[in-house]
Amino acid sequence: MTSKSMLLSISLAAAAALASGAVSARTEIQNKGSDTLVNVAQSWAEQYGKINPDVAVAVSGGGSGTGIAALINGTVDIANASRKMKDKEIAEAKAKGHDPVEHVVGYDALAIFVNKSFPLDSLSIPELAKIYGRGGGATKWSDLGITIPGCKDEIVVVSRQNNSGTYAYFQEAVLGDKGKFRQGTLDMHGSKDVADLVEKTPCAIGYSGLAYATDHLKTLCISTEKGKPCVKPTEETAFDGTYPIARPLMMYTDGKPKADVKKYMEWIMSDVGQCIVAKEGYAPVKKVTCK
Amino acid sequence: MTSANAEMFQASGLNKRNERVQNSYRILFGLMTLMLITPVLLILGTLVAKGGGVISWEFLFTAPTDGMRTGGVLPALLGTIWLVMVALLLSVPIGVCAAIYLSEYAGDNWFTRTINLAIINLAGVPSIVHALFGLGAFVIFFGFGTSILAASLTLAVMTMPVVIVATRESLQAVPQAFREACWNMGATRWQTIRRVVLPNAITGILTGVILEVSRTAGETAPIMFTGAVFFTPFLPESVLDQTMALSLHLFVAATQVPGIAEEVPFGVALVLIALVLTMNSASIAFRMWLRGKKKW
Repeated sequence: MTSKSMLLSISLAAAAALASGAVSARTEIQNKGSDTLVNVAQSWAEQYGKINPDVAVAVSGGGSGTGIAALINGTVDIANASRKMKDKEIAEAKAKGHDPVEHVVGYDALAIFVNKSFPLDSLSIPELAKIYGRGGGATKWSDLGITIPGCKDEIVVVSRQNNSGTYAYFQEAVLGDKGKFRQGTLDMHGSKDVADLVEKTPCAIGYSGLAYATDHLKTLCISTEKGKPCVKPTEETAFDGTYPIARPLMMYTDGKPKADVKKYMEWIMSDVGQCIVAKEGYAPVKKVTCK
Repeated sequence: MTSANAEMFQASGLNKRNERVQNSYRILFGLMTLMLITPVLLILGTLVAKGGGVISWEFLFTAPTDGMRTGGVLPALLGTIWLVMVALLLSVPIGVCAAIYLSEYAGDNWFTRTINLAIINLAGVPSIVHALFGLGAFVIFFGFGTSILAASLTLAVMTMPVVIVATRESLQAVPQAFREACWNMGATRWQTIRRVVLPNAITGILTGVILEVSRTAGETAPIMFTGAVFFTPFLPESVLDQTMALSLHLFVAATQVPGIAEEVPFGVALVLIALVLTMNSASIAFRMWLRGKKKW
């Protein structure tokens, strides 16, 4: 056999192998969206694969906006979102013949992170608005009467990219309906990037889902107004609504879920599914007792 | 007389200066070469030092568990092999045939010059643009959905210029006299290509394939849009499945998973590099074997 005919037969064999495997017996569920939810979604997919080997759940991140856009285009079965779909987006989906149905699958406390060297333990929402809001007035820590050791006074404002649901929710909850983010924020591409940056930068302040809190940074206690008692973000305070910046985490399906997607959604809402939410650091939608 | 001779062979001031200059340039260029390999050694060293500890059979041959914090990389490893293999199957035959046409059949006119220009431009298009093209063309327009097929097609389009250029260069490196000798024996153009030109050019073509493997395995942007996912619990079974891939898994492990051990991303990077090196050494070995048979 010459080398050429060998090459030819190898590639033919490979092509035949590929062609024979071209049809798969498994059902695939496409699940895409929020980076806040992506780790929970991954854990769900991992555990569901163990109990139901005929269904493969493929999880992708990219942000709530990415997931919602995919639902509008009909390329996913379930979109993950850490914010509600806007009326405009729902109208767009309807125009394309899709009918988004919302499912609240958990709650998230939006934690405010500062560096370990930050001297205080709490901030109020109006103070956050001063730091993050356009024309909010605070660009230096001294504007709020705060001195941080190892920091030259300039506030390093860490935010998220604008298709992030976390970004949209923070804007709504802290800056208000008409509020805009100030110019010059550092817009990170993921919650973990926010936490990593704040951990290394004494001047920084950032926000992320509570699941990204670590021992290497300080998670602030938040009050609705200066002087009022503050509330620490925890699963309990997110669930009972006492923490002022907690939000529901959503999954959107196209119409009422059917067949395999229905079974998957029911499993997510079951005790097992909700315990995974708790394990990943978010608040379940109902009281569950987990191992 | 003798003293004059001795003086003649004595190094003059100019000779000495020339030697000094010569030596300093040698040292300068040597240092530059060292600088060139320093990053390579540092990268490999860091990866082995930080990620070597997590590499085990279990890491290579199990799926990620516990929210990707423990377990291995098997689905991503297999996914990358699928993506590379399908991309090669799609791009090498087309690329090689196109190069043969351009080098052996086509004349030098405005048409072939335009094609060459297009190939060079295609090679210069950033991978994220290829990603968007792949999303629009293969995922949506052709309706392959996000799948290995769509991702590999995107990678194939992206790496095609590498194959074409490498193949064309190696075809043109075959001396024209070989062809003329063959034609003079009465052989047709195709017989000449098959029996003389291609066997002599095969090593160069394989070099192109090696370059393509490295680039294909490492690309993240094109597959992120078209076929690779954050996580899926099963191994790919067909070209219409979605898959995890090592490059995207590295991005995910490094930036998206809270509470993951620091060694894991380094381990993933090490596996990716080792995979590329293994695939390359296989084709390098094949190339050396072929070169051993070369007659000139």
